[in-house]
Amino acid sequence: MTTQIQTEEVLTASNRRQNLFSGFKFPKTFLGLLPILSFAGIFLVWPLSAIFRASLHDNHNHITFAVYRELFTGIYREAFITSFKLAFLSALIAGFCGAAVSAALVRTSGTFRSLISSASGVLANTGGVPLAFMFIAAYGQDGLITKFLLWLHWDIYAGSFDIFNFWGILFVYGFFQIPLMVIIFTPAMENMKKEWAEANDSLGGSHFQYLRYVAIPTLIPAFLSATLLLFASSFSAYATARAMTIGNLPLVPLVIGTLVDGNVIPSEANLGDALAMGMVAVSVVVIAAYLALLRFSKRRS
Amino acid sequence: MRKQFVFGVVAAIAVAILPTVSAQTASADTNWATCGDITACGGMDALVAEAQKEGALNLTTILRNWADYGDALDSFKAAFGINIADDNPNGSSAYEINLIKTAPAATQPDVVDIGASHIVDTADSTGVSIFAPYKVQTWNDIPATWKDSTGLWFGNYSGQIVIGYNAKDKVAPKSFKDLLNPAFKHSVGIAGDPTGAQESLMTVLAASVANGGSLDNVTPGVNYFHKLKLAGNLSSAPATAASVVSGQTKAWTDWSFNAPGVAAQAAKAGTTLKYVFPSDAAVTGTPYIFGINKNAPHPASARLWVEFMMSEKKGLLAKDLDGQDPYNLQQGTEKGSTLFNSLMGGQNIFRLGGAAPILGSVMASHKLLVPAPNVILGTSGATAVPTIAQQLAAVAVLKTAWPKI
Repeated sequence: MTTQIQTEEVLTASNRRQNLFSGFKFPKTFLGLLPILSFAGIFLVWPLSAIFRASLHDNHNHITFAVYRELFTGIYREAFITSFKLAFLSALIAGFCGAAVSAALVRTSGTFRSLISSASGVLANTGGVPLAFMFIAAYGQDGLITKFLLWLHWDIYAGSFDIFNFWGILFVYGFFQIPLMVIIFTPAMENMKKEWAEANDSLGGSHFQYLRYVAIPTLIPAFLSATLLLFASSFSAYATARAMTIGNLPLVPLVIGTLVDGNVIPSEANLGDALAMGMVAVSVVVIAAYLALLRFSKRRS
Repeated sequence: MRKQFVFGVVAAIAVAILPTVSAQTASADTNWATCGDITACGGMDALVAEAQKEGALNLTTILRNWADYGDALDSFKAAFGINIADDNPNGSSAYEINLIKTAPAATQPDVVDIGASHIVDTADSTGVSIFAPYKVQTWNDIPATWKDSTGLWFGNYSGQIVIGYNAKDKVAPKSFKDLLNPAFKHSVGIAGDPTGAQESLMTVLAASVANGGSLDNVTPGVNYFHKLKLAGNLSSAPATAASVVSGQTKAWTDWSFNAPGVAAQAAKAGTTLKYVFPSDAAVTGTPYIFGINKNAPHPASARLWVEFMMSEKKGLLAKDLDGQDPYNLQQGTEKGSTLFNSLMGGQNIFRLGGAAPILGSVMASHKLLVPAPNVILGTSGATAVPTIAQQLAAVAVLKTAWPKI
């Protein structure tokens, strides 16, 4: 394990040297960019422009902007607010919980560590209907954990507790969001050199000072980009929420589903496309805020 | 050796007979993509022969348990030797229409079965229908409201809203009112979002009828579900076969034509389910709609499929044959029309599945109906059927009102 990391470090170091000393020729660089550009073109720009184009055409193929006005009214506005709230809270909570797990994880070693890492890898990819089903089987009215707690004389359903509402969905999302955070944040934690803490100690710095001036500034960019990913993954999640609700929770992806892939509402697919463009707009705003925060944190440190 | 000889003789006779048979029934220049009824397609023998030559039928969004489609698929496959592909059993009406509009030609569905509210979306961007006009042999028996006068689309079957429950439940619900019983705490379910699932939309309309509303006024239905939620009975988990069998959902509403399939599935898992027509609301959904894809990759199979599904015949199901082969299906020597006439028609198969076949009243008067399954208790009575306009008006209200229940 250690030797592998060392070899990798040596390799990247030699790469860097090579890059520094080889001259930049424009066409060559452009050729290198070609794969990523064509990838982005096929899987991002093309679908996006197709959705945008479709959103501007009504059922009779007439150009209209009317659907975009609807995004800011009534249930669609509410759906955006609910979705944003869910994604933001989910990213924040899972971000901090996952970071805490990562911090603990890098202090362990051996079987326990690989167990947690591989469990995180599996759980982070357990979404959709299977996750909803696991959750219902555990915490549902007839769930295993519900029954167990009832056996301990604690009826979790006695009060207003319900797993099938906003807080329930937030809780469920934690089951793939926290492991996802662990996976993507642990490498950043691993990069924290032991020597830095030792240097801090030998120079008479306190633990608080180490956190304030060394650890947090170093980790903030990684933390921000990780939580951004968490935001995106819960903002766009569809199957889990769909398998746990009956339209009582207005989330943008679910509303889009009823418009473009339903059995009841005809002729409003373009409104669904417009809602999708609205989601893109929200993502762009969030990414802009992330970049601004990143620059701010770099200037401060 | 002897077998080979017999086969040789049969083959020789078949070769000798076949050209004369086909010459009698179909002219060589039948345009299978446009022929608009059985006569234009050269008769049933010719249609069957051409469909068998195509050998395949593309369907989409067909569930075996839904209105007993499973038996229809099996019979069609066994009788005509035509392979049926279903690209996505869990699709939606919107999906089916999109598939015709956007999928590559060879993978397009030949026939679609869509919700009536989506008929308006079956024109392409230039306003031309995506369907080919075709009038089945039973065309005149279809109620005028539920068919396009030029033959582009026509109704096939509909479902009534029923209440399902577990035989182990302490209370056997008989009405929407009974679902408010504290015995059903957290466990009354519907199939999904009423703005996305037909059966849920019809459930809210039925609840409205049960609570002083009407097909024109869905609000009492919304209020009823609000009351159900305040009582702590409404479960936000969609009612599925799995949730019903596991006991997570104790009482639920569904289409009548899902009842026999789900009950059989539950019985395999050792759970006895019961279904009842709610005593305080008899509501039947708008019928589902058949349309033949204008660019069907298998135009003859498509036409044979709708003829079969709209047939009023009492006949046999593939599973009734029980391994026997009285019609020489294996040899393929029986004339197409004899085969077709010996099979139970789709309309009776829908009835076996708990659906209301659209030709039901005509078939009843001609004594052509098979007995309905005895899975559903109570009497269906005279049911109310909304118009598409009433349905869309209800959806418009629910879009805003439902998330707030």
